[in-house]
This record gives sequence, C-alpha cells and structure tokens, in this order.
Amino acid sequence: MTTEQAYDTVDMMLNMGPQHPATHGVFRMVLTVDGERVVDVTPHIGYLHRGSEKLAENESYGQVVTLFDRLDYVSNLNNELIFCRAAERLMGIEPPERGQYIRVILAELNRLASHLLFIGTYAIDLGAMTPIMYGFRERERIQNMFESVTGARMMHNFIRIGGVKEDVPSDFVPRVRALLDDVERGVQECDRLLTFNEVFLARTRGVGVIDLPTALSCGLTGPSLRASGLAYDVRKDYPYEVYPYLSYKVPVGENGDCWDRYYMRVLECYESLSMIRQCLDQMEEGPVMAQMRRIARPPKGEVYVHGENPRGDIGVFLVSDGTDKPYRVKVRPPSFCNLVSLRPMMRDAYIADAVAILGSLDIVLGEVDR
Amino acid sequence: MTEQQPPEEQAAPRPAAHRGPPIEVAEEVLDARGEHTAGALRLALRDMALESGGRDDVPWVRIARENLVRAAEACVRSPNIRMDMLHCMFAVDYEERIELNYALFSLGNGHKALLKVDVPPDEARVQSLTGMWEAAGWYERETHDLFGVEFDGNPDMSPLILYEGFEGYPGLRSFPLHDYEEW
Repeated sequence: MTTEQAYDTVDMMLNMGPQHPATHGVFRMVLTVDGERVVDVTPHIGYLHRGSEKLAENESYGQVVTLFDRLDYVSNLNNELIFCRAAERLMGIEPPERGQYIRVILAELNRLASHLLFIGTYAIDLGAMTPIMYGFRERERIQNMFESVTGARMMHNFIRIGGVKEDVPSDFVPRVRALLDDVERGVQECDRLLTFNEVFLARTRGVGVIDLPTALSCGLTGPSLRASGLAYDVRKDYPYEVYPYLSYKVPVGENGDCWDRYYMRVLECYESLSMIRQCLDQMEEGPVMAQMRRIARPPKGEVYVHGENPRGDIGVFLVSDGTDKPYRVKVRPPSFCNLVSLRPMMRDAYIADAVAILGSLDIVLGEVDR
Repeated sequence: MTEQQPPEEQAAPRPAAHRGPPIEVAEEVLDARGEHTAGALRLALRDMALESGGRDDVPWVRIARENLVRAAEACVRSPNIRMDMLHCMFAVDYEERIELNYALFSLGNGHKALLKVDVPPDEARVQSLTGMWEAAGWYERETHDLFGVEFDGNPDMSPLILYEGFEGYPGLRSFPLHDYEEW
C-alpha cells in the first residue's frame, strides 16, 4: 500500500509569457504548480517600460498629455483627464461647464469602449469566440465617434489643461444619441449571450476569490474591488467634473470571484450609457476652454489627485517648480496595483483557471510598466 | 616655434537663467474634509510630526525616518483614521534629499493623506512597510529600481521595472535623458 509519504513530490515551475496570447501584452508569470494546482505565482513586469515619468519631467505641461495617452492605451481620454485635472488644481483654474460636460461624455464613452473590449477578450480567454465580434463591433462605432470629434482613433490629445481642444461637431448630440442606442443593443447582446451562460458560469463562478481585507491590503480598486463588496467609486465618493449632477448607481458584487468582476463591468456599461444620456440632456452652449495663458506654468507646489478609470483608481502626483515643465510626475496606475492581488487570487487555483483569473483583472501593460 | 599654451581652465557651466515671469508659489489650503483628516492625523502622530500642510482634501505630514513604521502603525490602528489602503508610494528626488511619499487612504472613514519621509541620497534606506500592506512590496521594488532607495525588511527586492544588471537609477534627476546609450 502506498501512502502520500511514499513518493517525493517536486513542485514544477511553469512559465507563461511574455509571448502568450492570453496575457494581454508582454506580461510573464511563473507558476509553481503541484499537479494541477497552482501553489504560487510570480509575476514579472517591465517589458514595456518606456520611462514615461522621466520623459514627463522634460516635456512642457501640454506635451505631457500625449504621454498620458500612451499609458493605458485602451482608455486614453480618461488618462488625459486625470493629468489635466492635476495641473488645473495646481493652477487654480476650472474649465467652463460645457468643457466639463464634453470631458465627461468622452470619458464615459471611453469607459464603454474599454469595457466592451474587456467583455470580448475575456470571452476569448475562456474559449468563446463570438462575443469579441460583438464587443469590437460596438467599440468600433465608439472609435469612429472619437475620430469625428478628436481627429484620432486612439492618441487623441483632445482634453487640454483648462478644458478641451475645441467644441464638438454641430451634429454631435443626435449622433451620440443614435450611437448610444446601438451600443446599448450590443451590450445587451453580449450580456444575454455570456452572463448566465452555463459554461461561462462554470468557468468563473467561485474562481479566483479575493476577500475584502486582502483586496484592500493589495490596493485593488475599480470594478475588481467593487466585486469584493465595497461600494468605492471615486466619481461618487470624491466627485469631480460634473459627476455630482448625474444620477447613477454603483454596482457592487458579493463574492469577489471572476464572475462578479466580469458582471460589475457589464453593469457599469449600462450606468455609463445612462450617464452620457443625462450629460447630453444637461449640456448647454458655452465656451469649452478656460481663459488662461497659452503656456501652462503652474505655481510652485504639489498636488495629489485621483479619479476613476475603467480599470480602477488612477492617481497623479504632480510637483511643479514654477517653470513650464513639471518637476516630477508620478502616476499611480490601477493595473499595476491590481496585479499585486494576482498572487492571493491564484493561490490554490487550477492551472486551467490561471488565464481566467488574469483576464478578469483586465490589465493593460502599457500602464503597468509605464 | 609655438609656445605651449597652458590649458584653458574650463569654466563651470552657468546655470540657465530663468526666463519668463517670476515663480509664483501656490498657496496650500485644506478644505473641510482635509481639515478633518488633518485633525485626526495630528492626534495620532502628535509626537512624530515634524511639519505638516496640505492641499484640498489631502493633508501631508512629514516624519523622521526612524519613526516611519511607528507612524504607519498609528495610521492603521488609530480607530478614527484606519488607513486601510496604501494607495501609492513614490519618491521625489530633490537632489539634496529624496522624499518618499506614502499616499494612505481610508476607504471606510473617507480619509486621504500623504506621509512624507526624507532620506539623504547617499544613505537612502528606510524600513519596509510590507508587513502592513501587501501592496507596499511592489512600490518599494519600483522605487528601488528607479531611485536606489533600500528597504530593510522587504523579502523580495529583485528588479521589477528594470532588467537584472541595469546600472544606474533612471528616476534620479542626475540620470541623463538623451546621452544614455543602452547598446
């Protein structure tokens, strides 16, 4: 008769990435496995490090906005917004109301595009091919709208310190309304197809569970934190721009598993749709850019601001020495902090679930490595 | 026959003249929320705070580096602060000193604050806070990569952002931006 002690078992190292289709970029993790179980995971990042923070110290304030575009390249406008807000706080200027409405509409549209990309790629991670077609089709419509407003599909450089670059096209409001109806149908389609699908539930329910104290200790934010049961949303708790004038719910999960993290994002899509509709109703004619000097030169000082990105809580620490270039720019990228929680999530998971857990965090490596 | 000219003494480069309007200094004003947090912090850190200030809803407190762990513990344990999240941690290089900033958030009590610690650049070393927040590990590794600050007590200090064997600390102001050649 053999007992467990009769054989020596050795933990095996399994390397995943940096070239792996399911790691969403150049991300590598080394899994220590015991049979089918993951004992430990060591993430390796930094393959995409471009030194954005260092570069920002050598650019003028207006140019730094373009660097922020390239951090989280799936939600560029949200990134631009956070840097511009930091600089504005330091300079003590407030953009005019129409400018703020345009910023919020664009940021929420970008949140929609980002979540649609997540729904599509997450389904692919789990082996379902169809949802990415629906997700990308809708995202494409939003990208086309961005192109007509900002002139670019990804690297917009549209939100500027003091407002936005220029007013939106004259037919913007009716076109966005039509777009929202289309996108809503697309989100519903993905939702119906995926959310309560039996196979999908079997792959995600109860997988990668993280409890709230661990999540907080790891610095998990955004939809992934809300999935663990804490209604923390910067837009609600520390309102900025015109968010206080909008009414919306903050979806909260219960179990903190992969399914909850996925479903929070689907629910957020519906909230974003409603937010944009309210903005369109409330928006009035007016200037879009505050009166300020052409070259931004914030007074000497420092500021720490944070805001809600599709992936979580993005923070910017800005030090100005009174010249036209920032002395120090530090970004607190949400994906970087969310990745810290990968280890507690993956402990005791199956190898087959490793991809499901990583995918549910929705990381963007451009932002992790900076 | 040419006379040997003594080598001309290299003049030190003159600091670039500051052009444009005189440098303004932004006034630091806390709002009601910030004052509330600042009051709670004053109570919890009253024997450690060297200097304090803040803007909007984020007050900051400067402490001596020996007190870092004690101050962090006070921020976590004190019942009316309870900083449950290390939101961010980063360094700022002021050349004569490196300033470490710990952005602490309390999602339960709605507090935000910055804890500042100054370290000298030639002996940049502080205690690690990995025991208090799991997130601290990666921030400290990143700060070590970019600024060369050592963190005593962090179990894993392997490079995170840069590769093994990279020389120099690119976050420092003295690191050249354009003249650096990698290959």
